Amino acid sequence: MARTLAMFTDTSLCIGCRACQVACKQWNELPLEQPEWTGSYQNHAHFTDKTYRLVRFIEKPKENGELAWLLMSDVCKHCAQAGCLEACPTGAIYRTEYGTVNINQDVCNGCRYCVTSCPFGVVAFNHDTGTANKCTFCNDRIHNNLGPACAKTCPTDSIQFGYRDELAAKAEKRVAKLKEMGHKDAQLYGADTNGPLGGLNAFFLLLDRPSTYNLPEKPLLPQRNVLADSLLSVGSALLVGVGAVMAFRERGGKGGGHA
Amino acid sequence: MLRSPEWHMLIVWYFFLGGIAGGAYFTAAIADNFGGKKDRDVIRIGYFLSLLLIALCGILLILDLGVPTRFLNMMGFFKFWNPMSIGAWMLGVFGMFAFVSSALSLSGSDSMARFRRIWSLIGTVTGFFLASYTGVLLSNSAQPFWSDARVMGALFLASGASTGMAAISLLMYLSGEAAGEGFEKVKRADRFAMIFELLVLALFLALLGSAAAPLTTGHLAPLFWVGLVIVGLVVPLVLDLVGAGLKVPAVVPAVLVLIGGFIMRYVIVMANA
Repeated sequence: MARTLAMFTDTSLCIGCRACQVACKQWNELPLEQPEWTGSYQNHAHFTDKTYRLVRFIEKPKENGELAWLLMSDVCKHCAQAGCLEACPTGAIYRTEYGTVNINQDVCNGCRYCVTSCPFGVVAFNHDTGTANKCTFCNDRIHNNLGPACAKTCPTDSIQFGYRDELAAKAEKRVAKLKEMGHKDAQLYGADTNGPLGGLNAFFLLLDRPSTYNLPEKPLLPQRNVLADSLLSVGSALLVGVGAVMAFRERGGKGGGHA
Repeated sequence: MLRSPEWHMLIVWYFFLGGIAGGAYFTAAIADNFGGKKDRDVIRIGYFLSLLLIALCGILLILDLGVPTRFLNMMGFFKFWNPMSIGAWMLGVFGMFAFVSSALSLSGSDSMARFRRIWSLIGTVTGFFLASYTGVLLSNSAQPFWSDARVMGALFLASGASTGMAAISLLMYLSGEAAGEGFEKVKRADRFAMIFELLVLALFLALLGSAAAPLTTGHLAPLFWVGLVIVGLVVPLVLDLVGAGLKVPAVVPAVLVLIGGFIMRYVIVMANA
């Protein structure tokens, strides 16, 4: 496996220009959609099957009652332990040699188990193609030594692309500096490979709690309970089975009848 | 922000009919192995019902795919920890068990019957699996409420048992076999399954606590409380226990249980639609 690649989105540098969102649409040839009123500058409300990069405009009340922007360019997290990948029954969702998670559009049959298994609600069902869609980490570009279109186009370097270990070290320094500057809630989200989901290969620097950005504080792998739930089902089967045996058993000895 | 898988009526019907198929099969197989010659109709009806329904289930699932022509893509792949992956394979394995059991139930030969009993006893594992894995599939997703429900698989299994047995009694009644001893035995087994299901449902709600809100207090709540709990479980149980004195036809509880089983799948799937 090649060295793991990553995207580091430093929300403290984002100016909300949405160049990333447009670059993503252009490069990936994602068609026009109906815009969506969200009550803020943000459009759409969430990722869609045709919007893989989305700049979130979060309004946070300040102490004097005015509102301040929290800007965040959001994207598929390319989790090290990916719920969508584990859920996929066809093998369409796979991990590339760079550690990113991709959906093979020629194999996906549109069962939509991945859609309901993403802890971030990223994967979306495309009604036109009948398949699941999400950010590809510009799979074609990274295989040709180009960064993802969003990172390449970002004018403030809010989105950076590179080797995961190098970017994570950079992110640590940046968060320490921001804390020094007085951003006491500055924190990394998904940078730690020992953290939730084994770390996110698209990780973030946030200026507030994850929940402020509509991110789960502690994302969990949806498949963590398969064994427990299955064993409970087996227990249930044994009880139901014993009940049925009791009901059908011939009274006064063994059931020796012939059907 | 989580996203709905847009699983709607086809999936509700699949969960309902797949539960009946599994329940009818293991009921018939248990009757075959532990019952007597008077249970012959239970056995035949159970095997053929499960065979018919599993074929229908396959069609429902294929139609629900975004690209139905690619349904075989699930057969080129196997993940033992993924309920949908095992489920796709087990659908085929169950179909094979149901087919052979059905075919052999037509034979009068003793050696065939011996083989059928052993074959079907092994097949009960696939029947139990089919009735319960859909619950485990839902409880291992990222959706709120579904993913909090640890006993969803157990609940689906109990419901698959009660609806499978109810479907057998309904068919026995319609084919004029309701007077026999076999009919009484199915009803006895169903009574146990219903009581068990009611207990698992109580455990399900207790373990979920406030996470059960989409069922217990949302717009699905009237359907859940009235349709499933009262009409689908409490009334048929009461009728079953005291029905003889009330002159209620013996088939009424079975019909109510089937309605309740459908409503259970409906409210659970639609809670995240």
